[in-house]
Amino acid sequence: MNLREWMGRKKRDGCGNGPDYSFAFLDDVSKREIRRKILKAVAIPGYQVPFGSRELPIARGWGTGGLQVTLSLVLPEDILKVIDQGCDGSVNAVNIKRFIQAVTGVRLTTDTGEATLIQTRHRVPEEPMTDAQILILQVPYPEALREVEPSERVTRRMHAEADYSRMWLYLYEDIVKFDEITIGYRYPVTVNGRYIMDPSPIPRWDIPKLHMAETLFLFGAGREKRIYAVPPHTPVVPLEFEDFRFRVENFEGKACARCGATDTYLDEIIDDATGRRLFFCSDTGFCDKRCGE
Amino acid sequence: MKPLLEIHGLTKLFGSGCGHCLPGGVSPEEGNRCGRCGTVVGCGDVSLMVYPGEVLGVVGESGSGKSTLVRLIHFELDATAGEIYLNNGKEDAARENLLMQSPFRRRQIRSRHMGIVYQNPWLGLRMQVSSGGNIAEKLLAAGWRNVSEIRKRAAFLLERTEIPVNRMDEPPANFSGGMQQRVQIAKALSNNPQVLLLDEVTTGLDLSVQARVLDLIRNLQRELAVAMIVVSHDLGVIRLLCQRTIVMRHGRVVESGLTDQVLEDPRHEYTQLLVSSQL
Repeated sequence: MNLREWMGRKKRDGCGNGPDYSFAFLDDVSKREIRRKILKAVAIPGYQVPFGSRELPIARGWGTGGLQVTLSLVLPEDILKVIDQGCDGSVNAVNIKRFIQAVTGVRLTTDTGEATLIQTRHRVPEEPMTDAQILILQVPYPEALREVEPSERVTRRMHAEADYSRMWLYLYEDIVKFDEITIGYRYPVTVNGRYIMDPSPIPRWDIPKLHMAETLFLFGAGREKRIYAVPPHTPVVPLEFEDFRFRVENFEGKACARCGATDTYLDEIIDDATGRRLFFCSDTGFCDKRCGE
Repeated sequence: MKPLLEIHGLTKLFGSGCGHCLPGGVSPEEGNRCGRCGTVVGCGDVSLMVYPGEVLGVVGESGSGKSTLVRLIHFELDATAGEIYLNNGKEDAARENLLMQSPFRRRQIRSRHMGIVYQNPWLGLRMQVSSGGNIAEKLLAAGWRNVSEIRKRAAFLLERTEIPVNRMDEPPANFSGGMQQRVQIAKALSNNPQVLLLDEVTTGLDLSVQARVLDLIRNLQRELAVAMIVVSHDLGVIRLLCQRTIVMRHGRVVESGLTDQVLEDPRHEYTQLLVSSQL
């Protein structure tokens, strides 16, 4: 039985046909809980709100946090885009997209400008987003302090007391050893001048897009059972020293081999046949759009 | 002169307490452990004052509550009762009992105004992090955000505590016990604390190293005029460093006064025993 057959099968109680589940798969009580937790997360920017992560037909750690946030927010009139590391066509993105469409019937798109709801893994779209859109990020490790403190109990106390000197010390030691901050992705940020937050494994390139944005950013970690948020117009500042500033990735002299873009985050790909190094836009939807024009 | 640090009725009970021993723990005549419920008085109704630039000694046998007292002042333990006031020098500042403040506020006060040196360097230092990094941690907690300034300050402090500056980026795990102790002192002094807490700093060091560490502490104290609370069971250390001394037993203060007076002319029988049992 494939997904569509399973969902179209007779109801378990035998009374009539139709799906054996609510709109958007999750039952109303679950959706209500998740929405409540989202509201709390929005009210306390950067604070990790625990939530009762539900079982889904995909395994934890494969985007279930983002998926639950999406399912609890999606409306029949929404237009959905799902990306995985910028790509609309990767297996993870396609599976999540097809699942959501099967349980809601919403329209799908690859155009960032058209989508009202975007679920993403490890990238923020290149195209600027508006206040009519919501970006939902899948998060594997919501705790930014995990690198310096293994105990959840202690990290919660550290957040409560804004005891962040060990995180700063981690950066200081990095500078002493390597003369620069070596964190490549999951770069810790201070949200609204209070909580240090893990922005999910987006590249440093995407961090400035979170700062004072028009869009609501929601972060869901299904395995770790946490939801957090960056509301619109919220300061998001990467940790940096006065004499060692935060930098984004440098793609100087490189351009997308397909659309020629020089102002996007590029993936390096080695051509199997020729062995040549090629660069392509990581955001495929944006690249397609440019090529089409 | 206004006292810098004021402590009133500081009490710490380990255990739930019972009708027999509440509220202040068992009476001092019975010792420090309640015979009925087993509640131990870590610190019982301790009151003291430390004035700016003064060095206060705390002596007593092991288990008398000296370290508990220091840990309560450093907010590492939650007090059962009592009041602690820190006078920050501003005349108009509101007098706030620090024990009633939020953990967030207490942490701020601790990072900005206090320093501590433990008997065991493993408690005060991160052994895998560079020595400069250990000092940096304290400065970062106090809000420093400039790497070159942090390194300048760390180098200055290490130089003052006689650690070769070229070993600044080595972890303290590579150092001898005396050096580790001096790194701890540098770390404790890094934020220009108002109060420095020294908990048995020379215990476990050999005699010549003890002398150098004590010399260093005395010189730094004279120069920086920082107020200190020195905990020790070694009367020699107390005699060398402290102007005033309190004697603790069973978690209570049994005698207090000028150091010379307490050591030369002890009144309480326990102090007499302590002084006479010196080798």
